[in-house]
Amino acid sequence: MDQKTLYDAIDPEVLTRLNTRQDEISKGASINSKLAAALALGSIPVALAALTKDVFAQAPSDVLDVLQFALLLEQLEAEFYDRGVAASGLIDAGDMAIFAQIKTHEDAHVAALQALITGKSATPNPKPTFDFTAHGAVAGFDFSAGQYDTFKALAQALEDTGVRAYKGQAPRVINDKAVLTAALTIHAVEARHASEIRRLRGLKAWITGASRDDLPAFTQGVYDGEDNVMQGTVDVSQLSLTSSNGGTNAATEAFDEPLTKAQVTAIVMPFIAPA
Amino acid sequence: MAQKNALVISSADQLLEGRTRRDFLKVIGVGGVLVMLPSALAACSNDTTTGPGPGTGRTLTIDFANGDFAVLQFAYALEQLEADFYTRVVAAFGSSSLSSGEQSVLADIKNHEVIHREFLKAALGSSYGFTITATYPGVNFNSRTSVLATAAAFEDLGVAAYNGAAQYISSTAYLTLAGKIVSVEARHASAIHDLIAPKTSAFAPKTFDDAFSPTKVAGMAQGFIVDKLAFAHAPSTFVQGPNNNG
Repeated sequence: MDQKTLYDAIDPEVLTRLNTRQDEISKGASINSKLAAALALGSIPVALAALTKDVFAQAPSDVLDVLQFALLLEQLEAEFYDRGVAASGLIDAGDMAIFAQIKTHEDAHVAALQALITGKSATPNPKPTFDFTAHGAVAGFDFSAGQYDTFKALAQALEDTGVRAYKGQAPRVINDKAVLTAALTIHAVEARHASEIRRLRGLKAWITGASRDDLPAFTQGVYDGEDNVMQGTVDVSQLSLTSSNGGTNAATEAFDEPLTKAQVTAIVMPFIAPA
Repeated sequence: MAQKNALVISSADQLLEGRTRRDFLKVIGVGGVLVMLPSALAACSNDTTTGPGPGTGRTLTIDFANGDFAVLQFAYALEQLEADFYTRVVAAFGSSSLSSGEQSVLADIKNHEVIHREFLKAALGSSYGFTITATYPGVNFNSRTSVLATAAAFEDLGVAAYNGAAQYISSTAYLTLAGKIVSVEARHASAIHDLIAPKTSAFAPKTFDDAFSPTKVAGMAQGFIVDKLAFAHAPSTFVQGPNNNG
């Protein structure tokens, strides 16, 4: 194999990161059997190919980026519920057990993510200043003004976003099993929250098609792509038993879809106050 | 999809096993499993309660040497159980004490679980698919309380199963597919717990959901499966989730 050609094919950023990654590789981080075999054979091109796929794609910095990103989302949710539960005259008394439980969870998720980040010898990002009017998209929203319907609508949008955000980041931490498992156990709790809030609002607990139901138009990004029916190479709307089991609507409900970091960022940015 | 040639699923006789309860239902159903004669249903119920007990059937071995396919097969076994359960729940609506609103939720969940099962069946392919036979000792399909309690147990277990098995998936594509399913299972779990104990903290009782090892899940699911679940080349390590109970 022509090494120069191979090097040329590699993202220059990858090559510049190679030296710093060598330490981690020597310590055994993210090493897999394919890479080990390639290194043992002294096959640099093959080893590099393995590196580009398995180490650089899952580098510890990637895991940290995911954790910091998740922390931001949890900080957003935690502050939302902290303020909601604390506000007098906002949440119906009969619903308080629901939101008190969610608030407790989100606070704990923030603490857990901060601990995971600290455990990787990094510093958790500070909480930004949030703007729950979403730069005016939720005009006049104020926790102290008794806007319970708006509060619940925002809660739904945040929870459905959270589910999709964790799902989208899972592949980036696939080689860090402790972080992956922790993230998935939070992911499922966010889905439980989303289900409960949707039912509280009189909706189905699951997302049909790409419908935002009665949420305002600016939340459509939370639901875009949820109408996907291609799961791997299988079109689940065309399975022989789908038509007699709820059809395409059920086929879309049966699978929640991931969002990329960029898509989630676009949803979340309006909730961060302008500097 | 990953390489199919790496898949050796289970004993050959398991693959040939066709006389399962679902096949029986298909045969006697008019136009499929959804249309059933009451007399046929009654016969099924009797057949179930007097049929073979959990773990008394053929051995179904899932070989983790098959990598991601083993995880998919494990999921397939659980989705078969869930789909079969809810199909029976829906079939018993006429004689059950479930409210119409509860029936609507359970009918949706039945649809989702059937689609999960059929998706995994298609993903695995016919040469390494298999069919389990379910059994429900102690479950009364006419009883709202019994049905909802069993449903909640199945959904909670499904969530913990996917959460715990994900660490054995090496393909990011399969990991994402598992993630797409598990959050829907969590939505189900939440909804069912809310039917049982409305507007309490029951919908999400824990800060972190559970993540159970395949061995633990198989032990719990075995109580509802006639086939004897077994693993070959089971992973020797399991990374615990935050609840440290897997």
